[in-house]
Amino acid sequence: MAEDVSNTEDMISPIVTAYPREKRYILAMMQDVQKKYNYLPKEALKMIAKHAEVPFSQTYSMATFYKAFSLIPKGRYNIRVCDGTACHIKGSAVLIDQIYNNLGIKPGETTEDKVFSLETVNCLGACAIAPVVMVNDTVHAKVTSSGILKIIEKYRGDAGDEDV
Amino acid sequence: MKIIIDGRDVDVEYGETLLTAAKRAGIKIPTLCHNEAFEGQGRCRLCMVEVERGSMKNTVASCTYPITGEIKVSTSTPLIEKMRKNIVMLLYKQAPGSQLIQDMYKEYGCVDNSLEENNADERCILCNLCVLACREMGSSAISLIMRGTDKQVATPYNEAAEVCLGCGACAEICPTNAIKVIEKDGQRIIWNKVFNLVNCQRCGKPFATREQLGYIAAPGKDISTQSLCESCRRKSAAEKIQGFM
Repeated sequence: MAEDVSNTEDMISPIVTAYPREKRYILAMMQDVQKKYNYLPKEALKMIAKHAEVPFSQTYSMATFYKAFSLIPKGRYNIRVCDGTACHIKGSAVLIDQIYNNLGIKPGETTEDKVFSLETVNCLGACAIAPVVMVNDTVHAKVTSSGILKIIEKYRGDAGDEDV
Repeated sequence: MKIIIDGRDVDVEYGETLLTAAKRAGIKIPTLCHNEAFEGQGRCRLCMVEVERGSMKNTVASCTYPITGEIKVSTSTPLIEKMRKNIVMLLYKQAPGSQLIQDMYKEYGCVDNSLEENNADERCILCNLCVLACREMGSSAISLIMRGTDKQVATPYNEAAEVCLGCGACAEICPTNAIKVIEKDGQRIIWNKVFNLVNCQRCGKPFATREQLGYIAAPGKDISTQSLCESCRRKSAAEKIQGFM
C-alpha cells in the first residue's frame, strides 16, 4: 500500500541520504523511493539530484527512461497484466479491455480514488498458467474475462472493508 | 602518421577521429549530430564510412572512430550511399516538418513508403546537441526524456525550469530549427518560461535575458561588456584599439 505522501521531504530524506553523494547510487536511491511510495514524487527526484550533485533534468531523464519507475502515484492495488507472448495469445488484451471498461484506466494509469492502477508487463515467467494477472504480490492464474471482474470486485470489497 | 581517404594520402594524428581528419583534409562527410564544440556522439549515423584495415572491411561512424593504425577509408561507396539513404528516410519519418530534412530527403532520392505518421510538424531528430549545449552553458535545464518512440527533449515535467537562463544556446545549435523561441515586446519565451529582455546600452536593442547577464556577472567573470549587444561590443572593442593607434 502506498504511504501518505504528506510531509514528503522529511520522509524521503533518510532514504536518499543513506547513500554516498555519488552519481552511481542514483538508481539505487530511486529504487528505494519507488519501493516505499510505489512511485517517484517530484520532490524525490529533486532531492536525489541535489544529493548526487547532478542536474534535476538528469534524474528526471533517468526516471522516465526506466519502465520500472512510475512518476504518477500507483493505486492501493496495482494490477499487473502479463502481456508476454503466451499470455497475449491466451487473450490478455481482452483482460486489459475488461479492466478499462470496468475501472476506466489504461496501462500506466490509476483510478481517481487511488484504489487500482494498471500496468502491463512483458512476462511474469509463468506461461503455463497463462493468462496471468498479478495484483500486488498475489498471482491469479488462467484469468478469464469474467474472472478478472471477480478479481476486481474482491479487491474493491477489501478496500471498502479497510476504510471502515 | 598517414592514412588513405578516398584514394588521397592524409596526414593524421594518432587517436583523432576519422571525421576530424577528413574535415581537415577538405573531404566532406555529411553529419547532423556533430558540432566541433563537442566530441562525436555517433547518434545520427550519417557519417558512416567504409574502413579497410588489412583484410578487414567495416562500416563505422567516422565521428566516433579513433584512428589507431594504417587504414584505407572510402567515404562514398554504393553500400554507404544506400545506408545514408535509409537513414535520411527514417529521419524524415521522425521529423517531416524540418526543411533541412526535407531537402536531404530529396537530395538522397528517397521514395515515399507506406509508413503513416501523425507528426507533420515535428522537426526534432533527437541529435542531443541542444542538451549538450545547455550542459556546456552550465544550466542543464533540458534533457532527453522517455525512451523509444516516446523519446523527446524537454525540461523536467515540461515545466519552466528554474535553472534555465533563456540564453537560447539550444535553439542556436539545433540543426533542424526545432526549438521554439518567441521574442516580442521585450520578452523571450523558450521552454515554457518567460524572460524579460535587457536592452543594449548603446543601440537600445533588446539582446539578452536578465538571467543570462546575471550568470555572466557572477564573481570571477568579466562583466565589463555585459550590457552591450554583440555588434556594439565589437564596435566598442574596435574603438578601444583605435585609441592606441
